[in-house]
Amino acid sequence: MTLRALTAVVAARLYEQRRVVSYAYIATAVVGLLQPHGAAGPVFFGSLLGIVIALAQSPGRYPHLDCCEQCAPLFGRELARAKALVPCIAVAIAAIVYAGAASARGSSDAPLALAIALPAVIATTLIALCAAIRHGSSQALYVSLACAASVTAYALAVWAHSLLGELAFCAVAAFVGLRQYGEALARYDPV
Amino acid sequence: MPLLRMRNASFIGGGCSVGPLTLEVWPGERAALTFASAREARLAARLASGIVKASSGRVLIGDYDPRVQSIHCKRIVAFVPHEPMSLSEPDFARYIAYRAALWNVDARHAGAYAAFLRERLGEMHEAFAYPLIGALIAMPDLVVLDRPAPVYAEQILGAIEARAVFSTHTNAAAARAFERPAVLRMTQA
Repeated sequence: MTLRALTAVVAARLYEQRRVVSYAYIATAVVGLLQPHGAAGPVFFGSLLGIVIALAQSPGRYPHLDCCEQCAPLFGRELARAKALVPCIAVAIAAIVYAGAASARGSSDAPLALAIALPAVIATTLIALCAAIRHGSSQALYVSLACAASVTAYALAVWAHSLLGELAFCAVAAFVGLRQYGEALARYDPV
Repeated sequence: MPLLRMRNASFIGGGCSVGPLTLEVWPGERAALTFASAREARLAARLASGIVKASSGRVLIGDYDPRVQSIHCKRIVAFVPHEPMSLSEPDFARYIAYRAALWNVDARHAGAYAAFLRERLGEMHEAFAYPLIGALIAMPDLVVLDRPAPVYAEQILGAIEARAVFSTHTNAAAARAFERPAVLRMTQA
């Protein structure tokens, strides 16, 4: 996949979802101002946003983009990587917005909370993406797995005091989630 | 070599099915098939363009099997969906640039060709013209039309020129409008 095609997929999806993403940033800033201390706010609120934005990539929400992507000479795994970048970029910026809002309220641990939240929300989002092309119980299962990943990442970083452990867990979870999404997209028949 | 070969190709999945279909479309030929329902017609068009993979039987686009060489297939065929596309002027320019990037076509050339096609499809409602223009900027050898509007048959076939066409329809009269050879149509006009 060329860099040009990757950029085009990401830019087109972010452009179509600009309203949802903007509202998400406003909500994040408000929550960051209300709950500036600790990592629970950015991790769990960011994860929630990640799940919502990942589910917004479901087929049928932007039919002309879906149609172009399905017809384009791209492998399913390439397309999966490009589509996965969209919610990842959105939630990464949301985590930064949260840290900015928390800092504005005088929180001294905002940088550490950002370091904890960033890998957690990205891993959660990538697992939630697998739910975007499924329905019913399997979709609910992937959303539950995404929530569980968020809780596990938080527990490792805050209760077990192991930031490296959290990073390692999130890296593995994100890799598995992205791979699973790519495989599912490669086999997906858009009927 | 035929551009599209279907041998007892059928698809079953997602609560719908189509086929078995057997046909060949050679360069410059036009084939139009009529189906009992819009869902079947949509599925057959997607099967012919390699977007969905045959559950049984065989589909070859050029000499490639969409199940294993989907990228090669999608460089040969262009799929034009039935659904009209409502876009503003800036969004249309963005759409053409987006498609040009996906197919790795020169953006300026794509823009110029899109403007030429838009001029040519002047009488056609823009919501129906945009998907066709988007499909044609990649210069495909075969164009697959999913239930094209028969009222625009003249303009659509004019824009497609000498490329091979496979279209699906839900009534025989619409299918006939897309099967007629261009020379005959020009004589009648």
